[in-house]
Amino acid sequence: MESTGGAVPNQGQQPQPPAAGDAAVQPPPKAERLNAVLQQQLNLESVKTRAIGLYKAISRILEDFDAYARSNTTPKWQDILGQFSMVNMELFNIVEDIKKVSKAFVVCPKNVNAENAAILPVMLSSKLLPEIEAEDNAKREQLLYGLTNLPVHMQIEKLKGRIDMIETACEAAEKVIADARKAYGLGSRQGPTLVPTLDKVQAAKIQEQENLLRAAVNFGEGLRIHTDQRHLPSSLPSHLVDVLTFGDGTQNFGDNSGVYTKNTPSFSSNTVSTQGAVMQTPGTQLMGRPAPSPSGVTGTASFDNASTPPLPYANSPRSSTNMMNTPSPQQQTQQQQQRQKMMQIPQQHQQQLHAQQQLRQSPSPGVLGQSTMSQLNDIQGQTQQKFQQVPGQHQMQYSQPLSQQQFQNRQLQSPHMQHNIAQNQINQGNQLRSHLSQFSGAMNSALFNAAQSSPNSQMLTNMSATMQSQSLLPRMQFYNMAGGHPQRNHPSQIINDQMFGMNASNPANMVAMQQQQHGPQGGFGTIPTSNQNLQPGMVNFPQQRQQNQQ
Amino acid sequence: MECVVQGIIESQNNSHYMRHNNGVRLQHVEALQILLQGLCGVPKERVRVHELCLKSGPNLGVVPSEVRLLCDLAQPTPSWTVRHVGGAMRGAGAEQISVLVRTIVESKVGHNVLRFFYSLGYKLDHELLKEGFVFRFQRGAQITVTVTSANKMPKLYATDEAVPVTPGIQLVEITAPAAAENYSEVVAAVSSFCEYLAPLLHLSKPGVSMGIVPTAAAAAASLMSNSGAKTL
Repeated sequence: MESTGGAVPNQGQQPQPPAAGDAAVQPPPKAERLNAVLQQQLNLESVKTRAIGLYKAISRILEDFDAYARSNTTPKWQDILGQFSMVNMELFNIVEDIKKVSKAFVVCPKNVNAENAAILPVMLSSKLLPEIEAEDNAKREQLLYGLTNLPVHMQIEKLKGRIDMIETACEAAEKVIADARKAYGLGSRQGPTLVPTLDKVQAAKIQEQENLLRAAVNFGEGLRIHTDQRHLPSSLPSHLVDVLTFGDGTQNFGDNSGVYTKNTPSFSSNTVSTQGAVMQTPGTQLMGRPAPSPSGVTGTASFDNASTPPLPYANSPRSSTNMMNTPSPQQQTQQQQQRQKMMQIPQQHQQQLHAQQQLRQSPSPGVLGQSTMSQLNDIQGQTQQKFQQVPGQHQMQYSQPLSQQQFQNRQLQSPHMQHNIAQNQINQGNQLRSHLSQFSGAMNSALFNAAQSSPNSQMLTNMSATMQSQSLLPRMQFYNMAGGHPQRNHPSQIINDQMFGMNASNPANMVAMQQQQHGPQGGFGTIPTSNQNLQPGMVNFPQQRQQNQQ
Repeated sequence: MECVVQGIIESQNNSHYMRHNNGVRLQHVEALQILLQGLCGVPKERVRVHELCLKSGPNLGVVPSEVRLLCDLAQPTPSWTVRHVGGAMRGAGAEQISVLVRTIVESKVGHNVLRFFYSLGYKLDHELLKEGFVFRFQRGAQITVTVTSANKMPKLYATDEAVPVTPGIQLVEITAPAAAENYSEVVAAVSSFCEYLAPLLHLSKPGVSMGIVPTAAAAAASLMSNSGAKTL
């Protein structure tokens, strides 16, 4: 028997559920289309191949059995069972596959012979296979439950209604799924496309906070305490304790206003009380300590950064030979820094400072720098000059002696007050007094002339030269202005560059420098050399002078 | 000169911003710390700096100048630094680069520097206490990343009573020293490093505010969870 599974054009040959309610049934398809559909469902070629393979396998097994029977050997039952199960499996699969499409096929025998005569009528019968029939019945039962007693058109309509309901339900479900996909970012296989956004209120708050923070850090907005409320707390943090406190109590560092008056009365020796405090800095009570004794001056000064060589220096090797030595880098850099800042010392201060004709000691390099800067700024009408000493050594500052000079050791505003003030300062001061008058006039004019020139290194050199041209007491330690000294040139150049070359960041400096030219008097151009002039030895001064006068 | 960018990051105090995370407190700052640790390979250093900003009065010069004194309180002995911030680079070229290039002068100083500046006539303009951590490393340039909370002091010098200026937001600052010859390379190094931090924070020039990054929460969560998984 040959079964030909061909495309059956008319599915109507098979029993179907009532067409009335069964809209799901495919309409009678055309031959080609059905063939294509069937082709997807069941590849007939493959079925044929499998059937042939199965047939061959079975025949092999039968041959093996024949051989066993003939040879009268007991077969290995395990192998045979295995082969048998394989064959069984294959048959089962083929039958299952055909069952899926059995509705599309009909057996069409080509001829009748003894082989297929018995089975042919069964094959040709249009009755469903029992299983298929039972399945169909069950489905029909399910569909028409409750409708069987109605007329047919009513049944049709009810079934149509059911179909519509199912359709709407399906559409709603589809919509929900699509929405959920979008909400969870699953849609269309592109991954999460939804970026979590902050709502506007939060974003605005954060923006505001950020502006506050940036302004505070970069510009200090919102951090300024009103001057009324600025008073030092009772307990300073540890890093500020020794920085801000003085022996005589605390002052308001944020406010300069009251300081001057405060310190004025404490200038006991200041007979020339022109303007009250001299070179006052806020809160510096050191100014107010008029201790005439050398030791008294250096009450709380601590000299941190510079080494403090022992006094006296007049006879020390340092003083003898090293008037030109460059100071330690510490001192030098410090002084350089300070010089840069010194450019901005108010002229008022300068005037005041110079108005005090008192000898001062300023052992610290900071003070050194200050006085030099102040001198430089002092061109504008000061008649005093200052000498400074290198920290750690005898240092004396002279203000231009006026008629009444009172020799007083006084500290400048620098916090670095050295303890080791010269022992014989007072004596020297007395000696100096007489000598100061020597060069008061000459010095003034010299400096004035020097100051009139352009502010460059030349001025400093000139000034230093003029300074050194004065005769000085052997014991006086002067600020060696040896700008011309070979050893000093380098640092002086540096300082000069710093002072005069700072155009980018410090316009104030330039202005200050320019202002200096107009003064009637020049301060020392000792700034560059102040670093180096810590070697006072008066003994050497003449030597230097000679050297510098080359 | 230095190249500098700043950004902000939310810190733990920002509880009301965390509401949408169902109460899970995301430590953005900690996440940033983890990220930086991975990127830099150096341990973090604590930072506690008392910054005093001094301004010169009008009688000290034509233009008031400003100088900042920084006292490092993290070390057992405080160390002081003086710092002057100059003008920033301007021009069309400066507009195009995303970092700010400005002149800076900085130096270590002795601890009497405050007294010294007061003596000169400088006055305290404002002070700030910065607390946080810093990473210093080399990556094309010597880069320093500082994450700090800026605190203000209600009373003068009272560093112990400092309160944050913005409780929920901390400042992230990335700086790298540069010279006039090589600043373009330093700018490139800083910019490329900033890209690594893009998921967590926006970085911009100090004057420009950018807000926070919307993906910060997610990025922080992933950073924190990764680290949690790896600690055995």
